[in-house]
This record gives sequence, structure tokens and C-alpha cells, in this order.
Amino acid sequence: MGQGIAQWFAQQNVLTEMVDQNHDFAKKSLEKIHQSFDKLEASGKLKSTDVQTFKKMITVKTLEEVDSKADLVIEAIIEDLSAKKKLFAELDNKMSSATVIASNTSSFPITLMAQGLSPERKKKFLGLHFFNPATIMKLVEVINGMETDKSLSSSLIHWFNDKKKIACECSDSPGFIVNRVARNFYGEALRAVESYDEQKCREVDNVMKEVGGFKMGPFELMDMIGIDINYSVTESVYNAFFQEARFKPHRLQRDMVAAGRFGKKSGKGFYNYES
Amino acid sequence: MNPNTMVVAHPDHPLYMELIKHYRVRTIDEALNTYEPCDLVIDLSPLRTQKKFLFLKELSKTTKAKIISDLTLSWGEWILKYAPQVGGALSTLFYAPNKAFEYTLREPHDADLKKAIDQFAEVMQMKAVEHKNLALSFHYPRTIAMIVNEAYFALGEKLATAEAIDLAMKNGVNYPLGPVEWGDKIGLHYVAQLLEELNTITRDERYRLSTELKLHAFKNL
Repeated sequence: MGQGIAQWFAQQNVLTEMVDQNHDFAKKSLEKIHQSFDKLEASGKLKSTDVQTFKKMITVKTLEEVDSKADLVIEAIIEDLSAKKKLFAELDNKMSSATVIASNTSSFPITLMAQGLSPERKKKFLGLHFFNPATIMKLVEVINGMETDKSLSSSLIHWFNDKKKIACECSDSPGFIVNRVARNFYGEALRAVESYDEQKCREVDNVMKEVGGFKMGPFELMDMIGIDINYSVTESVYNAFFQEARFKPHRLQRDMVAAGRFGKKSGKGFYNYES
Repeated sequence: MNPNTMVVAHPDHPLYMELIKHYRVRTIDEALNTYEPCDLVIDLSPLRTQKKFLFLKELSKTTKAKIISDLTLSWGEWILKYAPQVGGALSTLFYAPNKAFEYTLREPHDADLKKAIDQFAEVMQMKAVEHKNLALSFHYPRTIAMIVNEAYFALGEKLATAEAIDLAMKNGVNYPLGPVEWGDKIGLHYVAQLLEELNTITRDERYRLSTELKLHAFKNL
């Protein structure tokens, strides 16, 4: 996800430094970004001069090397609360007092992640939740923690909107807007089939596309996202809402994960992708 | 005008204006109290399970015509099991972005009823999408009702504005409509009735209505 976010910022002519705990991984991500720029140029979607500029906008750094006066840091590491809090504590010490720190978390409360930060930084700490692929999907959820300075989120919303993103402000609640409101697109589909039956999954997908106008049905989408990831988000939202029945995971999700049927990436999910 | 078909519909039905152009449309009371010969009744009354069952029972006393019933707000499997006069069911009550509706036929199905559903779809310029495994409810209305309800829970908690919720769902996960505008198009009273019915049948708290939705649904009634 960080790769896509970094690429999008570079495409806005923003000097972007990409950092990963595994430096080689960051270098590989940069190569992929360059390849993506080249493809966009070859297909006529980007001009050659723009591609040269964008490539110059983005570099790979170690955490020690990053510009401590950067305006904004966006964290997009694994969804592990202690790992995130450790990183934020480091960034709080390292970065200038003017630097805004944001998390691309899809599940952890912003206020909880800001807990160990200095009082001044808490005002400059918020959630910026991008959607995959970040270079294409327009939405950014701008999430205010309890201490976030509201004028900061307002100016970020204006900035993103100027750059043709659609920035939606929301408060710090589990799943924010999308991961919360979309839960029952999957939840009801799972309850409609109850146990694994490919024909029934196909029927639900077909109805939701043909009648509801969705681009993908819930089972196709779970297969694409990864059934394990979808299950984990459902569990996370369910637990964050103190086991609210509306978000209760379904045993079929658990069983699919136990069977190693994660969706497209494992070759099998609700549908079979092995040729 | 199709002389052999009678449609039972409330003026509040989203297809009502189109229905009256092509069919003899009667209210529930008219259908029960006036004998009008016909071969087929397409019942689009917006009734929940118990009232729907009683209505269909009474209707079968006044006509021997084949019946296709809209079970958007009813427990479909139960009606098909206990109301043998119903040969097929459909769901037209919820506005659908694709001008389509779900339908199911009692198996082994009557070929004339399949033809009748196709003809109804053609006349209404809609697409009929088969749903073979009708259980608790048709797929589309139950899923959309839950999504709309969640948007109203979020609104009640001041998570975001209605505009932000709609924009986020359309641009974050490519929904054809935002859930708040979707609810407005369907009619929140129908969304509320379906969720209340699902809650009544299953006793599952997941179908609990948000108070914010209740507040707005009652205003619309």
C-alpha cells in the first residue's frame, strides 16, 4: 500500500521519501514505481517529461536518513498496534515539531495510536486512509483523533481535493466509514449461503451485480481482497465494537481460512482459480 | 393493457405509475372485495409475512388464478412452503439501480409462470434475475437494507456527514449509489420494515434498527 501512496504523491510533484524496515524491499518498490511510470508513458497516459520529473521526486531512504523537516509522514506498515506505536514514538522524537504524522491504518483508533506522543504532536496526528490502488482510487478518509487540530484536517482535505482526490472527513470510530459500512455487503452474503456452496455464491454475486449494480459480487470481492484479510477486518471491527451483532464474523469465513482457501492469491477461495 | 392479468399494488409502490399504464391495478381491498376474472395475479402488496400470508389466503378464496407474489418484506421460504397457491415470488419493492428484479419459482416450476415473469419484466422494461435458493429473504433487499442501516448508525453517532458517507462508499469501494441516497430512493419505511421483519423472524440482534433510521423512516411514513 505504501508503494502506491508514495507513487501518487510523486505524481503530485511532491518530494517523497520511501522508507521500509527492509531497505531492499523499499528499493524493489521504487523499481516497481519506475516500471509503472514507464508503462503509463508507453500507453500515452503520462508524458515523457512528466515521467522524468516524477522519477526525480521519489527516493528511498533509511529512517535515519529521512528529512526531519518533512511536512508530512504517512505510516503504512503492517496492522500491528505495538509496531505502529513504536514507530510513532521514534518519529515523534526525530521529526520537526511542525511535521504532521498520519497513519494509513484501516483498523486501529487514531487516538489510541497517538497515546504515547507529545501533546503538541497529538494535535498534528491523524488518520489518512487510502484505498488500493492509491494511484487510481480517489478516496482518502481523513480521520480526526480526539486531540487532532481540526484546522489541520480541514487544510489537508482542501489540499487533497485540489489534487483530485476525494477526501472525506470522519471521526475516530472502528472501521471509519468504508470498512464499517461495507461489512454487511459480505455479512449478509455469507448468511444467505450459510455453508459453502459455489453455486449459491455465484447466485448471490449475480444478483448483486445484475440487480444492485455492484461491479463485483461479495464472494468475488472477498476472493480478490483475500478471505483472510476480510475475515481479519471483520473480527477487528466486531471486537472494537465490543461484539456488536451487526459485525459478527461468519463461521464460513473462519472455515475458508482454516482450509487455506484465501481467494485468488492462493488459487482457491469461494471460486477456483487453478487452471 | 393485459386483460388476463391483475396486479395488486399500493400507490406507494415504486413501479406504480408504470404499472397502471400496462395492467389492471387493484388495491388489496379491491382485490379481495371485487370478483374480477383473470388468469394471473401479480401481487405486489408491501406486506410482511403474517399479513401477506393472510392476504394470499383470502385472495385464493376469490380467484383461481395463478399467483406470483412480491415477497420483499416477507419470509420467502415460509410463504412458499405454507401458501401453495403462490407459484412464484419476486422482489420489486426496493429501487434497483440496474432496473432489474429477483424472482424465484416453486419447483417443479410451472412453465407458464416463468413465461409470465419474463413477460412482466419485458412490459416493465426490467431484467428478471433468477434466485433459485430463496430462504429468509431475497438477496438484494436484505443486503442493501443492512448497508443503509449501518450508514444511519454511523450518522447517529456523528461519524461523518451523510454526504461524506455517500462519497466514501462510491469512491472507496465503487458503490453505484451512496447508502444514504440509496435509502432515500428505496424509501426508509421499506428499509425499516424489512429489517424489523428479519429481526422478528430470526431474533438476531444484527437486524436491529438504528434509532436514527427509525426517526427518519417514521417521518417518511
